[in-house]
Amino acid sequence: MTALARMRLVGFVRTARALPPLIAGLVALTVLYGGGAAQATEAYGVSAVVLFPVLAWQTKLLLDTEPDTQRRLAVVAAGRRAELAGGVIAAGLAGLALVPVALLLPWLVGGVTGPERPGDLPLALGLTVGLWAHLLVLPAAVALGALASRAATSSPLYGLAALVGGVVGVYVLGLKDSVLPWIAPPVLATARASTAGPDGWSVALLTGHALLWSAVALAGYAWLRRRRR
Amino acid sequence: MRLDQVWLRYGVRAPWVLRAVEVEISPGQSAVVLGRNGVGKSTLLQVAVGVLDPTRGVVRDRPATVGWVPERFPADQPYTVGQYLTGMGRIRGLSGAAAARTVAGWIERLGLAAYRDVRLPALSKGTAQKVGLAQALLRPPGLLVLDEPWEGLDAPTRELVPELIGEVLDGGGAVLVSDHRGETVRLPHAARWNVADGTVTVSSPATADRRVAGSRTPVGTVPAVPPVAADRRVSGAGTSVVEIAVPTVQALETVAALRRAGHQVLGVRLAEPPPAGHGDTPAELPAPPRTPTASGTRAAPGAQAVPAVPAVPAVPGGSVVPAVPAVPAVPAVPAGPAVPAVPAVPGGPGVPAVPGGPGVPAAGVDGGGEQPAKPVVATGEES
Repeated sequence: MTALARMRLVGFVRTARALPPLIAGLVALTVLYGGGAAQATEAYGVSAVVLFPVLAWQTKLLLDTEPDTQRRLAVVAAGRRAELAGGVIAAGLAGLALVPVALLLPWLVGGVTGPERPGDLPLALGLTVGLWAHLLVLPAAVALGALASRAATSSPLYGLAALVGGVVGVYVLGLKDSVLPWIAPPVLATARASTAGPDGWSVALLTGHALLWSAVALAGYAWLRRRRR
Repeated sequence: MRLDQVWLRYGVRAPWVLRAVEVEISPGQSAVVLGRNGVGKSTLLQVAVGVLDPTRGVVRDRPATVGWVPERFPADQPYTVGQYLTGMGRIRGLSGAAAARTVAGWIERLGLAAYRDVRLPALSKGTAQKVGLAQALLRPPGLLVLDEPWEGLDAPTRELVPELIGEVLDGGGAVLVSDHRGETVRLPHAARWNVADGTVTVSSPATADRRVAGSRTPVGTVPAVPPVAADRRVSGAGTSVVEIAVPTVQALETVAALRRAGHQVLGVRLAEPPPAGHGDTPAELPAPPRTPTASGTRAAPGAQAVPAVPAVPAVPGGSVVPAVPAVPAVPAVPAGPAVPAVPAVPGGPGVPAVPGGPGVPAAGVDGGGEQPAKPVVATGEES
């Protein structure tokens, strides 16, 4: 499984498919932080929201890098479950590589400041919350990207529709007044909680929600993979 | 491994590609999958390797290690030959050192040494196919599935494929092969899985032989095949391959006569190569050829059996070619003198002699279908 994930990551990098989402992410974050300095928790919460579609797109690109026949060869060589897990792990690792970039970039462009007013969270806590927020959107983004990948959809059009529709749905259903907030992963809710300074209960609730949603979505991905011939 | 009442279709409303398929292959056995284009050969093979799940039914007792050579190797990948094979070895669970050692061995054996550092997209079709062959054999497979493995391969590697298959069989593995080039004449003792209309009928080599005489006896499972070593009997000591050329209109009776005389007929083909894309349909041997062109017939009677050739009915203008240098000139068919090199058949080029081996010019097609205009090759064992 690790060998398969490694091979897919190598292929993703060598084909230069890793560059477009990286560039898009950097541009989006730079534009985001260009408006002025903000508290770390606030900045990182929004950064996680902005990175969500980039991470989902990156996952789709990574899983689509391999030719279909090679994916089948991997199924034969490693087994169906290991092949499935190898792709998801590779996508997770690729997404994980973007998190430190997202955490570091605002400091380079003056997008964050330390605590200035009474009540501002300490910097270390702000960084921790930012890390939590980014790590929380990552599995959901990977799951959405996997659902939109060529291996799970029957046509490129369906894949694109799943990606765009999924991202829009996550944003719309995640609005504060949404009637069905639990249907979408808590991307916007995490940003709101991050800005406000999350308490232990909201951290646990949002983490559970995000992980459960991701698990269900990945199960759907596995089902689609099995169903699609 | 057994496919138990396997049905498969590619969509809820799509037509069934496989229907109630029930076949079985045991360790040490080989089978050739035959059928027209689009009839479901590759689908059947992908069900066998586990890439496709049956819509209904089940595949039982699939070996833990399966090697699969797809019809088209996916060469559009950013690795060199060495990197790719090493990566596949690691995916198959080999340690770093073991993967390096195994890959080096296969690269050497398949003549890929010069391409070790060449990126896959830069490879020719045949070289890429060799890489596909190598990745399937990185671990000794319990089931080796080859989808058109001879496609694009050069002559030495084509000769190597039956040898590799023999090694897998010797190691207790089972082998499934699809082929539309007639190369499976090199596997005379493999069972025949004929795919048509979504169903699979299985015949043993012996059954295929009998079909020449007009019988058609589909059976439900692959019967026991002769010992593994017999697959290479044709090239073994004491066996010679003799190629003869006869007018096409007399090919059928010649084949029948040779078999009655106890010879093993390896193949029948038109002396002229068929046009591209014309050789895919398995043709049934009993079908009389439509065109009065010459056919080449190969018989492997064993060196001691060569004198039985005169039992063939008179073949005007026919010639008998001693394919193996060690074989003395075969007594000629009545109207034709023995000649060392062929072009003695009116209306068609002669069949080239095959020096020292069972190699078959790739024009033959193994038979199960009903298209007499296509080249025909019969494969059978001595009866």
